[in-house]
Amino acid sequence: MTTTTKMIGQAIKRREDPKLITGQGQFLDDVKLTGMLHAVVVRSPYAHATIKGIDASKALALPGVVAVFTGEDMSDINPLPCAWAAGKVDNNLNTPRALAVGKAMHVGDGVALVVAEDRYIARDAADLVEVDYEPLAVVVDAKKATEPGAPQLHENAPSNIVMDWECGDREKTDAAIAAAEVTVREQIVNQRLIPTPMETRGSVARYEPATGEFTVWMTSQAPHVMRLLLAAFVFGIPETSVRCISPNIGGGFGQKIFVYADMAFTMWAARKLGRPVKFVEDRAENYQSSTHGRDHITDVEIAGTRDGRITGLRIDTLANLGGYLSTIAPGIPTTLYGRITTGVYKIPAAHCRVRGVYTNTAMVDAYRGAGRPEASYLIERMVDRFAAEIGMDPAEVRRRNFIPPEDFPYSNGMGLLPYDSGNYGPALDRALQIVGYDALRAEQAEARKQGRYLGIGLSSYVEICGVAPSAWIGLPGEGWGAGLWESANVRVHLTGKVVVTTGSLPHGQGLETTFAQIVADELGVPYDDVVVEWGDTSGTPFGFGTYGSRSLAVGGTAIVKTVAKVREKAKLLAAHMLEARVEDIVWEDGKAFVKGSPDQVKTLGDIALQAAVAYSLPEGMEPSLDETTYYDPPNCTFPFGTHVAVVDIDADTGAVSLRRYVAVDDVGTVINPLIVDGQLHGGIAQGVAQALTEGAIYDDDGQLVTGSLLEYAVPKASLFPQFETDRTVTRSPVNPLGVKGAGEAGTIASAQAVMNAVIDALQPFGVKHLQMPATSERVWNAMHGGTRGARS
Amino acid sequence: MITTEFSYQKAGSVDEALRLLAAAPDSALLAGGHSLIPSMKLRVTAASALVDISGVAALKGVSRAGDTFRIGASTTHRDVAESADLRSGSPLLAEVAGVIGDPAVRNRGTIGGSLAHADPAADYPAAIIALGAQIEVAGTSGSRTIAADDFFTGTFETAVAAGEMITAVTVPAATGVAYEKFVHPASGYAVVGVAAVVTVAGGTISSLRVGVTGAGPQALRLTGLESALAGKTADDATLRSACSGLVAAGDLVGDHQASAAYRASLVDTLARRAIARAAARG
Amino acid sequence: MQIDGEDLLDAPIDCVWQALNDPAVLARCVPGVTALVPTGPDAYDAEIKLAIGPLKGTFKGTVRITEQVPPEAMTLTVDGAAPMGGVNAAGRLALETQGTGTLVRWQAEPKLRGTLATVGARLIGPVSKQQTTAFLKAIEAEARQLASSRR
Repeated sequence: MTTTTKMIGQAIKRREDPKLITGQGQFLDDVKLTGMLHAVVVRSPYAHATIKGIDASKALALPGVVAVFTGEDMSDINPLPCAWAAGKVDNNLNTPRALAVGKAMHVGDGVALVVAEDRYIARDAADLVEVDYEPLAVVVDAKKATEPGAPQLHENAPSNIVMDWECGDREKTDAAIAAAEVTVREQIVNQRLIPTPMETRGSVARYEPATGEFTVWMTSQAPHVMRLLLAAFVFGIPETSVRCISPNIGGGFGQKIFVYADMAFTMWAARKLGRPVKFVEDRAENYQSSTHGRDHITDVEIAGTRDGRITGLRIDTLANLGGYLSTIAPGIPTTLYGRITTGVYKIPAAHCRVRGVYTNTAMVDAYRGAGRPEASYLIERMVDRFAAEIGMDPAEVRRRNFIPPEDFPYSNGMGLLPYDSGNYGPALDRALQIVGYDALRAEQAEARKQGRYLGIGLSSYVEICGVAPSAWIGLPGEGWGAGLWESANVRVHLTGKVVVTTGSLPHGQGLETTFAQIVADELGVPYDDVVVEWGDTSGTPFGFGTYGSRSLAVGGTAIVKTVAKVREKAKLLAAHMLEARVEDIVWEDGKAFVKGSPDQVKTLGDIALQAAVAYSLPEGMEPSLDETTYYDPPNCTFPFGTHVAVVDIDADTGAVSLRRYVAVDDVGTVINPLIVDGQLHGGIAQGVAQALTEGAIYDDDGQLVTGSLLEYAVPKASLFPQFETDRTVTRSPVNPLGVKGAGEAGTIASAQAVMNAVIDALQPFGVKHLQMPATSERVWNAMHGGTRGARS
Repeated sequence: MITTEFSYQKAGSVDEALRLLAAAPDSALLAGGHSLIPSMKLRVTAASALVDISGVAALKGVSRAGDTFRIGASTTHRDVAESADLRSGSPLLAEVAGVIGDPAVRNRGTIGGSLAHADPAADYPAAIIALGAQIEVAGTSGSRTIAADDFFTGTFETAVAAGEMITAVTVPAATGVAYEKFVHPASGYAVVGVAAVVTVAGGTISSLRVGVTGAGPQALRLTGLESALAGKTADDATLRSACSGLVAAGDLVGDHQASAAYRASLVDTLARRAIARAAARG
Repeated sequence: MQIDGEDLLDAPIDCVWQALNDPAVLARCVPGVTALVPTGPDAYDAEIKLAIGPLKGTFKGTVRITEQVPPEAMTLTVDGAAPMGGVNAAGRLALETQGTGTLVRWQAEPKLRGTLATVGARLIGPVSKQQTTAFLKAIEAEARQLASSRR
């Protein structure tokens, strides 16, 4: 038998790139419609204020201004929905409206909408809208917001608490900690981050009065979900009257999953004015008004034995969720955080309590990793704290507590479905071998004698990919009430060319390439014969979109299952065409032939043509090779690995430089190593940046001090050494490809590797913990006995 | 990010630029536009008339006359960084220009624009002060020269009067030079930058000028340090003891990225490193 | 951010006090004020034109004087709003005779909002000092004039 080269496993370049890197991509701002108007939002400069009046007369007097709308004008539509009310938050779901009504809850909250003939006029007019504000007391810190006397943001949320959620076994954990030989306690802050996709967000809405139909172009990672939420929840109209289209998207990192005010107000204004309306946020608006990530304050305690066994873990987290609840905000610090806080370790007793908190800040929701980076950072910092406390090498403590390979599938007792597969030791060993761990430890000891400070940090992580099975996330109490399955349609055209449509929504992941590789192998057709389509709710079956590292494990599996259906039908038809029994038909390299008679053959093109012209089909067979699958995964997947960071610290300035970064990841089967490496590189960069440079800062008045790229330090290439990546491969038993997912692993693994290295370097100074980001000043203070920055 | 409305005129000469500048209220000169345009887009600056001087040939390029180097005001950072004359005869400005912002900024931004803007965290001011540069300005009533020590008068304030424009910067030959910069991780500006110009004769420091940017409300010169090190050797122990507590934190600026106290410590460290490196070259 | 400082004014304390409480004087001395209209006791509507480096704009707002302890102390609050954002600066001034002059100790907490807050954080300290010193220098000139006209 002859077999062509398998595409799965090939490091081929992304087919998306020639278009995108030569400026041929069509992004939201490229959408230009006849008669289109432009909208600019007037935003609150106050973090908390009563809106006493809005005078638009001067703006309306500017030639070219078509209308100015307020939140009251849009009172005929509902607030945006919160779709993931994990932790029983249904009694105080305070979500944003298209525009604020009565009160502004954070700096940048939209209070009026100017619509004009062009965006320049609209922008000028926005400056002419006079808003009378009565400033109110402000709280931006989650801890302060829960204290007596704090300003109350919403009447239905006493002490500003959104929800009080827990998982694990409280009593058993309390007992384990009380009985422990060693306990270590720490307050760990996971600072607020701003996702900063290269393309900001926006919407263009068109309304056709004759049919009552909307078409909405949006920068969304999940257009089908947006259509559902906007139609059914915000506008109360049939889903069939809304078509949502995501064109090319310049990065999302989670920020583009959610339903946003601009989707609603462009739709509302387009209907009101009878002309298409476009809104594109600028960078300052993106920073003030689109979602942020992380922002946890956690009191944590780890318990263990002197010989390095971890016996208990107790976590109490305050999660800052902002002034309103974003679409899936409550689910992130609960389901995707609390349930995985035990990490790669077999911990006999663990408990995690999480309270979500309202503050006068931008909404916080999923940002690359979404809950899992916070969990991974927490446990990995605490394992290092514990190792330092008992004087044991951190690698050894990890080894002693890893969930052993024979325990898989493994239940961690925190309410997750079982970890699918894992073998944590080899990834750690490989990472230590690549980095030359023992030699580095020797160098470190020598350097310290000379007053030089070198640090080595480990991070052994596990995460949750392939969100999400209905068996888990659909359960009562999880709050989602639905499974996040995915769809795929595969049809073979008359010429044998294959078109795949997916409910996944690539926005930088290279899914067109990866999916085409899979289909090429599964159907035995040339890679170039496969086209992948996505993004338009009119052209693709309902799907849940791309986030949570789900597109390969869930969306990819849906494709595999669909291809199987196509193949089976093709075999049936081939048998008919070849006048053979279907049991005798062999499928190979995109051809069907009769077993033992390879000259009796029909190509996929022959079969597709026959299926399409349809004049001679088997009894009862429908024309066309066109199949659809809706795939609900039985479990999540759990990628893992070990990352090692090596840092040098400038003793004079506290500056941290990253000397080496080694990542050994196990993402299951690898479809395209180039794409997996790319995903890891980007993810690592974002995690390292959290450790060293990034952090959103609100002052006490709720002003976003880091409101521009002049102050908010996204990483630059000069921050990084060449990443040294390697892999182990442990197939996932959950799906036929054996894939786990790679979109977020780098981010989930990296911040703690770097922080553990920084703190390891500072060990001679008695430093036990340092909050992120480890800015030069924080490190310098820690080295000079200052407490400034060391704890806050 | 959209600016308010403005008119645009391209000047063909310095005289024409000055005339156009005077003709409109709220006018501004546009050179590289890498400070002006971003602030106009943020709408914190509203210039109603821009006078583009990027086409004035007389304002461009580096020339050498004996031991003096003259850099036209609209010479880009990149052209300063790559100037063979400067690199061989007076490399400090070239070194500084090479670490300004990023390549896009260096390709467009100009030395005159940067100096006129007088951002307290810009890189050039430290070098201008350390070199004792002269800044040539032209006005409708004639030209004059301002010494570097008198040039920066406050935060974003210079001795350039309304209606005047910078035409050139002249610097002396100096090879014992170095610039040490602590880069702001977001903006790329200097959290602190220290430039040193040293002459070593017979093993000891015979002349020294040190300029500091980023640390304070405006660029400053460390005259106390300069005299303390006069006649001393530039060895590590001497520099360490001299470069300690150079500036009081109370006179410096602080923000979320770096407190005044931390900036003060950076001044000490960077001054020591800059002088050591400059002395090794000079 | 808290900022403070002290300036020695070459004028007697009662003249300094008088100058500080005269709307016409304030209109001339608060940097950039182009209009100051009384709206009540010690309260004014103001229009302020600011030009600090790249920051240029016209602010509409209020000037209020509160917590007066003649002639020793007062709080001067300036609040201005412009499309680019807003400024609120409450300055506490303490006056004390020193020789023939008046020592003014001042403390202020300038606050920015909107776009200004995101671009002006590193500038607010030095700029506030610059503005306060300019203000007190102008007050000094006014107070000296008052003193000389009394002689």
